[in-house]
Amino acid sequence: MRLSYNVLKNYVDLHDITPKQLADSITACGLEVEGIESVAYATKLTIGHVLECVDHPDSDHLHVCQVDVGTDVRQIVCGAPNVAKGQKVIVALPGCKLNGGEIKEGVIRGQVSNGMICSLAELGVDKKQLTEKQLAGIEVLPQDAVVGNTDVLAYLSLDDTILDVGLTPNRNDCLAMWSMSKEVGAILNRKVTLPDYHVDVTETPSTLQIQSETDKCPVFLGKIINHVTIKESPKWIQNALHGAGIKSINNVVDISNLVMLETGQPLHFYDLAKIPAKEITVKQGLNETYTALDGIDYEIKEDDIMITTNGKAIGIAGIMGGDDSKIDEQTSGIIIEAAIFNHVCIRNSARRFNLNTEAATHFIKGIDPLACVKAVERSVQLLIEYADATGVEETVQAGQLDSAEKQVSVSLTKVNQVLGTNFTMEEAVEPLARLDFNPVIENDIITCTIPSYRTDIFIAEDLIEEIIRIRGFDHIVSTLPVMPTTIGELAVNERKRRLIKTVLNGLGLTEIVTYSLVSKKHIDQSVMPLESCIELSNPISDERRYYRTSLMPSMLDTIAFNQARSQSNWGLFEIAQVFDGNQNQQERLSMAISNTMIQSKWQKINLIGDFYIMKGRIMAILEELGFDEKRINIKPNDIDTNTFHPLQSASIYLGKDLLGIFGRVHPAKEKEYDIDRCVIAELNLSVLYEAKPAKIKFQPICKYPAVSYDLALVVDDSVVVGDILACIRKAAGRLLTEVEVFDIYKGIGIPEGKKSVAVSLSYQSYEKTLTDQDIAPINEKVIESLKKTLNAQLREA
Amino acid sequence: MIKWEEIKQEVLHDIEEADSKEVIDKLKVDVLGKKGMMAGFMQQMKTLSPEEKREFGQKVNELKKLFESTFSARMEELIEKAMLEKMKKEAIDITLPGARPYNGSLHPLNLVQQEIEDIFISMGYSVVEGPEVELDFYNFERANIPQGHPARDMQDTFYIDSERLLRTHTTAIQTRTLEALHDKLPIKVICPGKVYRRDDDDATHSHQFVQMEGLVVAENITLSDLKGTLELLARKMFGDSRTIRLRPSYFQFTEPSVEVDVSCHICGGKGCPVCKGTGWIEILGAGMVHPNVLEMAGIDSKKYTGFAFGVGVERVAMLKYGIDDIRNFYINDIRFLKAFTRFE
Repeated sequence: MRLSYNVLKNYVDLHDITPKQLADSITACGLEVEGIESVAYATKLTIGHVLECVDHPDSDHLHVCQVDVGTDVRQIVCGAPNVAKGQKVIVALPGCKLNGGEIKEGVIRGQVSNGMICSLAELGVDKKQLTEKQLAGIEVLPQDAVVGNTDVLAYLSLDDTILDVGLTPNRNDCLAMWSMSKEVGAILNRKVTLPDYHVDVTETPSTLQIQSETDKCPVFLGKIINHVTIKESPKWIQNALHGAGIKSINNVVDISNLVMLETGQPLHFYDLAKIPAKEITVKQGLNETYTALDGIDYEIKEDDIMITTNGKAIGIAGIMGGDDSKIDEQTSGIIIEAAIFNHVCIRNSARRFNLNTEAATHFIKGIDPLACVKAVERSVQLLIEYADATGVEETVQAGQLDSAEKQVSVSLTKVNQVLGTNFTMEEAVEPLARLDFNPVIENDIITCTIPSYRTDIFIAEDLIEEIIRIRGFDHIVSTLPVMPTTIGELAVNERKRRLIKTVLNGLGLTEIVTYSLVSKKHIDQSVMPLESCIELSNPISDERRYYRTSLMPSMLDTIAFNQARSQSNWGLFEIAQVFDGNQNQQERLSMAISNTMIQSKWQKINLIGDFYIMKGRIMAILEELGFDEKRINIKPNDIDTNTFHPLQSASIYLGKDLLGIFGRVHPAKEKEYDIDRCVIAELNLSVLYEAKPAKIKFQPICKYPAVSYDLALVVDDSVVVGDILACIRKAAGRLLTEVEVFDIYKGIGIPEGKKSVAVSLSYQSYEKTLTDQDIAPINEKVIESLKKTLNAQLREA
Repeated sequence: MIKWEEIKQEVLHDIEEADSKEVIDKLKVDVLGKKGMMAGFMQQMKTLSPEEKREFGQKVNELKKLFESTFSARMEELIEKAMLEKMKKEAIDITLPGARPYNGSLHPLNLVQQEIEDIFISMGYSVVEGPEVELDFYNFERANIPQGHPARDMQDTFYIDSERLLRTHTTAIQTRTLEALHDKLPIKVICPGKVYRRDDDDATHSHQFVQMEGLVVAENITLSDLKGTLELLARKMFGDSRTIRLRPSYFQFTEPSVEVDVSCHICGGKGCPVCKGTGWIEILGAGMVHPNVLEMAGIDSKKYTGFAFGVGVERVAMLKYGIDDIRNFYINDIRFLKAFTRFE
């Protein structure tokens, strides 16, 4: 809210407190000041009298003026269209600092100019507060303005400072200036003097009929004032409204706005003559088009609360009145409305109509349940004083006011227990007294009576907060909890997740984090998609409509983004959740490695990002997590041949469970995303988290050396190496410790349609050093088996 | 008479002159070999009288020893010289760049998250995670945000249907934890996770971000304990000389509620653009767990109290590394990501 320092000064003594000090004090107590701004800013101003004003000889819009500024008469060149001889004007003297810069003596198109005649906008006054006329030209002052008066800002009541206070949702009572004053008084520990709004006026019986047909309007006060005079508001009311950012219209409308600012209760004044039936009913359930005060048509729906007379709508309750019952120059009598409307209804309606009026804001944020009574009384007082009100009728009330006194208690023990303080009873009670909570002490218990505007105080903890808030949080010392020892540990799958990340980082992959919400295209292009997907009921955009069912589309986007920026050496990974529509959740890992990952260019050390690099990295992760190669099955990828190159990709299983798919990106997909060749993988980590890893077991180091034996085989092209290795392992038996592929060859010396596969077999025994005699029969058996099952021939040396 | 001294000098000179292994090997055979010079002397000895024999033998042995040791010393010298020459040819330019392994790194958000987790694990907190697709019940109802409360607004929350939504804060993990552990007190947990708000993305807003909340529930937990805990966090994150201050605030989940400022790590509190001249930077919200929240979970709020706090991981990372646009975290420009190799 905009808090005017000058208005606040009327209620609380601030003579020794600057706006900055005030801001610091109230910020420390929970009313966070987000900005401090002067209403206007200028030095070295004075009031001048335009003695002469002629057209500039060398310009079609400038004027040359002779201006009496009290001390001397000086020539000033002025470009404003409305400047004229005889005017009293604001003059900025040379050396004057404005927000736009500093005024200097100068020559404008050959004419000496010793200052500037100013508009209010040039003094920094918020343009929203100014009329079009004021915006178009210089400010013309009343004729009685004293020439040479240098305190121009005070003369114009522009010497105010506005604090922009960010109120927390529980302290919307401070939207009301009077409550705010009480709050500031409590914080500064100073007396607060609010206006006495009681007036002795004889009220005649009311001729107004009021009823509420909806529980969304529990209280409605109405009052007829038969005679008022419409005129300009007194300066102090105009200034108070300006301080709050509200335009002055006329005395009666201004009074309704002023009282809302003071009490927090939105009021609406109707032109009495335009409601001849003198009957007002609050209704819901209308379905019609309605023209409001702003001249715009609104589609009224059943939930909107409407003010009606004789069945005809005259206002959208709590938001905006109607055009045909508004106060205008001819208004001579009024009906005052002060009601309470349900904040949820008002919020929904205001949002649907996109009408954020001051009144709506007050209702939405919640108001003092007794403010309506105060507001009506204060209005009457001001209307009598400033609008010559007579013929005041009694107030009519529909519904019951909630005037029950609210009492809340807390024990001193509890105060100190929750805060960790050692406050005495006196220290604890003093802030509560400052807040007008009327604390009463009985033994250890403090009982408070809560003022009606403090709708945020219900329980003991609320009082504790008030005590420490006003006393100051610097009374809180720093301690650490004294409690039974607990063991700190990572979340269930986090240890494994962190391990995977460490392995991937070591392998040169950088982690990315992408958005969980994706487009339909991403859902359609999911790798291993879940059966259904989550769609938001209120997305911001189609781009972010679904919760993703795969990480791969986001990974491909990231690759494309980086490649477009000439980043071509990378390994990337992401670990994140995917969800289906039935609360099923998986943790996924996506990986991608570029065509080359250069380790040292001048040495020509490159990692070619191909299928085998990816396969090796996946195996490394699995081994790290305790899943032996024997438990892993690699099969041709027949699951996703849209994302992956069908003949350079594979599906990978842990036992029978699908773990993921990896391989080269499909050439068509490369084209679609405009990316170079790269390899990718998506794995379902949940499968790994749920599976039981192998136990780490100590095995003594073998004392006897290993013997190796190389085999070069010629097989049909169609024979896969995996089958050769499996055949060797099976035939060789337990003395075979390792079998390694060291060459694949096609070409000269090898018949068409065949290939040479060279493997190295290692044998080792825990019992003795193996000799040729020991392994020769095994090798024979291996060769025999390869011949028989795979039609393999030994390659001639 | 044999001129021993001349022979000695001559052989030593030859050894000295020998400049390769081959030459010295040949010389050694000539002097010390079976048919060499020294062997010749031994032959001569046979013809001498016992008296002469003794003196002659002594001299021969003396020379033999001397030659042997000189030969091996010279040999060693030559080997070393040869090695030095070989190494000279092997000289490299040590200023050429090393073959660095291709480095991967964690995403800065996870770097910060892990760091905070580890600080709290060291103090006995356990990390608890929860579902991002959450029930209204745990996200709002149990967090003391009843139906009709402005904080539940459709404007701010991504709803899936009337019951399910994308969690708007990690408080949802806390309410689940309170329910699960209400009969296994004390509770001491840290809850990290992605959360979602219906915000348009700009430099300071993101519809997805990472939050971490801490929760302690036990007997006699005080606001002072909260302050001490957060002071420790602030120092670990932003340096040992940091101080914090509490300001009153409002959250449904806590009462009293506080906003926590940390003294500016850039200017040390003197005032600078980062702290907008105030010397303080707002980093998190916290408070004493609202008794309603404890009671709803089945915990006796008369016996137990607790504190809770929530910190935005993006905010910490942005402050710590001087990042000015939150979208950087989600664009994943490799040049951006590579800067964050470790937590400082």
